[in-house]
Amino acid sequence: MDVNQYLEIFLDETNEHLQSLSDQLMILENEPENEDTINEIFRAAHSLKGMAGTMGYKRMQALTHDMENVFSEIRNGKMKVTSQLVDVLFQTLDALEEYKNTIQETQDEGTNDNAAIIQALQKCLDEGTGAAPEEKPEEKKSEAPKADADGDNGEKKWKNINLQEHEINALKEAEEKKMNIYGCTVFVQESCILKAARAFLVFKAIEELGEIIISDPSTQDIEDEKFDFDFSLYIVSSEPYDKVAEAIKSVSEIDRVVGEEIPIEEILDKDGQETKAVEEGPAPAPAEEEAKPAVQEAAPASAAAQNTGSAPAKKQTANKPVVNRTVRVDIEKLDVLMNLVSELIIAKNSLVSYSSGGQASNNSSFNEQIEYLESVTTNLHESVMKVRMVPIESITTKFPRMIRDLSKKLNKKMELYMSGEDTELDRTVVDEIGDPLMHMLRNSADHGLESTEERVANGKDPVGSIFLDAYQDGNNVVIEVKDDGRGIDVEAVKRKAIERGTITSEQGEVMSSKEIIDLLFLPSFSTAKVVSDVSGRGVGLDVVKSKIEALGGDVSVKTKLGEGSTFSIRLPLTLAIIQALMVIVGDEKYAISLGSIDTIEDISVDEIKYVEAKEVINLRGNVIPIVRLHEVLGLEAPEENRDSMIVVIVKKGDQYAGLVVDELIGQQEIVIKSLGKYINCTSRMISGATILGDGEVALIIDANCLI
Amino acid sequence: MDEISLMNNEYNTTQYIVINIGDEQYGIDIKYVDNIVRMQKITRVPNCQEYFKGVINLRGEVVPVMSFRMKVGLPETELTNKTRIIIIKLEPNAPVGIIVDAVREVVTLGDNNVDEAAKSSTSNDPSYINGIGKYGETLISLLDLNVVISDKEKE
Repeated sequence: MDVNQYLEIFLDETNEHLQSLSDQLMILENEPENEDTINEIFRAAHSLKGMAGTMGYKRMQALTHDMENVFSEIRNGKMKVTSQLVDVLFQTLDALEEYKNTIQETQDEGTNDNAAIIQALQKCLDEGTGAAPEEKPEEKKSEAPKADADGDNGEKKWKNINLQEHEINALKEAEEKKMNIYGCTVFVQESCILKAARAFLVFKAIEELGEIIISDPSTQDIEDEKFDFDFSLYIVSSEPYDKVAEAIKSVSEIDRVVGEEIPIEEILDKDGQETKAVEEGPAPAPAEEEAKPAVQEAAPASAAAQNTGSAPAKKQTANKPVVNRTVRVDIEKLDVLMNLVSELIIAKNSLVSYSSGGQASNNSSFNEQIEYLESVTTNLHESVMKVRMVPIESITTKFPRMIRDLSKKLNKKMELYMSGEDTELDRTVVDEIGDPLMHMLRNSADHGLESTEERVANGKDPVGSIFLDAYQDGNNVVIEVKDDGRGIDVEAVKRKAIERGTITSEQGEVMSSKEIIDLLFLPSFSTAKVVSDVSGRGVGLDVVKSKIEALGGDVSVKTKLGEGSTFSIRLPLTLAIIQALMVIVGDEKYAISLGSIDTIEDISVDEIKYVEAKEVINLRGNVIPIVRLHEVLGLEAPEENRDSMIVVIVKKGDQYAGLVVDELIGQQEIVIKSLGKYINCTSRMISGATILGDGEVALIIDANCLI
Repeated sequence: MDEISLMNNEYNTTQYIVINIGDEQYGIDIKYVDNIVRMQKITRVPNCQEYFKGVINLRGEVVPVMSFRMKVGLPETELTNKTRIIIIKLEPNAPVGIIVDAVREVVTLGDNNVDEAAKSSTSNDPSYINGIGKYGETLISLLDLNVVISDKEKE
């Protein structure tokens, strides 16, 4: 079956279901009796199983199926939720996630059967229900043989239906509810033209009386008219068989119905036999019929194992993910876009009619049209940007789970409180900040929070708190990771830095505590005494810093010894469009990002002083080096000698520099474009280009490189 | 016409855009040509390779533009109204413009009309040419675009 077209939808929905499972499990762990949650989980597991089955991912289906079994027991009140069970279930989720990732990369679910997890689930099930293992997991080849030993060659074709475990479970459930199980085969008249429609009516008739457990051929095939003149069904119903048969026969063009009631034992028996048959002999008669799918299933497995990749070669053409990245867009946002585009067309049309209308129309109406056009494009721009924005929720949702795991691993009690998950950021930024945030949370959990005993000794709540707050602040988004732990011990950091030779003890004497805390962001610097699984290898904060800076943001720390610390990340709302100051140097126009500009000063020439033969100015107590943009941009110095010059003071962290420009044009919103890969700008001070209103290209100066 | 159709039948043919640099004719494989535009305002990029004249705005995209003359070590000439920028796309999403003196025509050359470029054993210059095409009486030097666009400076 060609499933490519559904793959994206499948992956999307799998993601959603996995996320909802994870969320609900977290709730379940705290409230083991919450019925809504259990039902929700059951639903998610069930849809997941159905989807995996439809897409032909058998292993994934098997795993979800076992998980579903567990929940079905819990739902029926036969089993209690224990913390051990939740652990196993989380493992199951991880395994499912792995399947999903493999599918995303190769379109194939891989060869990992996760037998250990299936067994663990089974064990939980057995222990939980207190029952002896009734049924062995026969997942491995659940699809295999179809043949039935007893030779009812005649019309009782329903005996040939191969029941799978979940169907058997459904039958058992029905049995417990005192419902009857019928097997029957319906024969359609051979003159019948609309077989599918008749079959549909039969289904409908049955569903009024009971429930169809399985049909052969499958419902889908029947709908597509892929059957001869008969189809077989397993039905559960509380009505007597005759009534069901009568209902079926009442559909016109139905030739006859053959069927009878089946005792549950027979089904279980048959299933047992079959399972044995599979285990004993892999190639009985029906193997021929089944050979094709079996080979298909086996081929990727063996080939992948040998790593020769002959069979699946065409599937795994490249290592890059098969599925494109997508953004889900709110229909409303699209509607707004559509409206704006239609307005744009109207504006264009009125301009056209203006130009073809000769001199009749006057200047003011022309200006009106231009203004209208301008407002439409501004709105259009805003809306398109909004489409690119996604809430950071998409990454924060996995954090509660992570904190839970950490709490177990570190043996500390902690609680994560999040706020502002609906804060929106550009898709590219959101994708990138997941890892840094995770680092910071781990950092807070491992280094920030004290052990439970220590907290009690210090008179604090034994349960540590970690806060993740996100909010928008002007053109920036701020994300804070805060803990109420021990805070950063500045003296300890200083000692460590001196010990490691990062700074000398003399330097240590004069450094402010802020400067010392900044040392934490240096590569391979960790104050944790013990290297743990979680963190402490010193590869955390410097990675966080470099990643955030690569996104155009910055990281800062506030801390109070004994009370906790706060790490704040400040990120620009979007990367593609920035506010910039347009300046003129020589006869060229340049843009400087407003984010890096501190102030703009008019400096008289005699204020320039020299320090080590370099030009500096003393601005309100700060000594700021002067950079003459003419020189760094390779332009000729302006000839006329002016008394004063315009200096744009830019700032990077605590450092400042003054850029001398000829003229200011003003503030403007600019769209950043790359220069392309062929041009090598040796000094890296040009970070990109932008296109101005008149179509001219202006370069963007990266002020950080000039400091 | 008969001659051409005969040629088509027997040999692989390639279409080339013929450009003028001074008195010489060069051919550029048409499949790499995205666009040909008139000369327009070029924004200088400081501190980049010398043969890059800067960047232009091509319908909202910023495209770097190089001077073919400077790249191959020829003297610069005055811009005329025949000067064109040929937009080349060797890879998708990475266009680059090449300034040429003029664009003449499009020719179709069969394999039989293309000779290997003579390799000069005395010179170490990277060869910008990967073949010589014969079109009637004129000789067309066929450009190896990878070498032209690549970063390697002429030693």
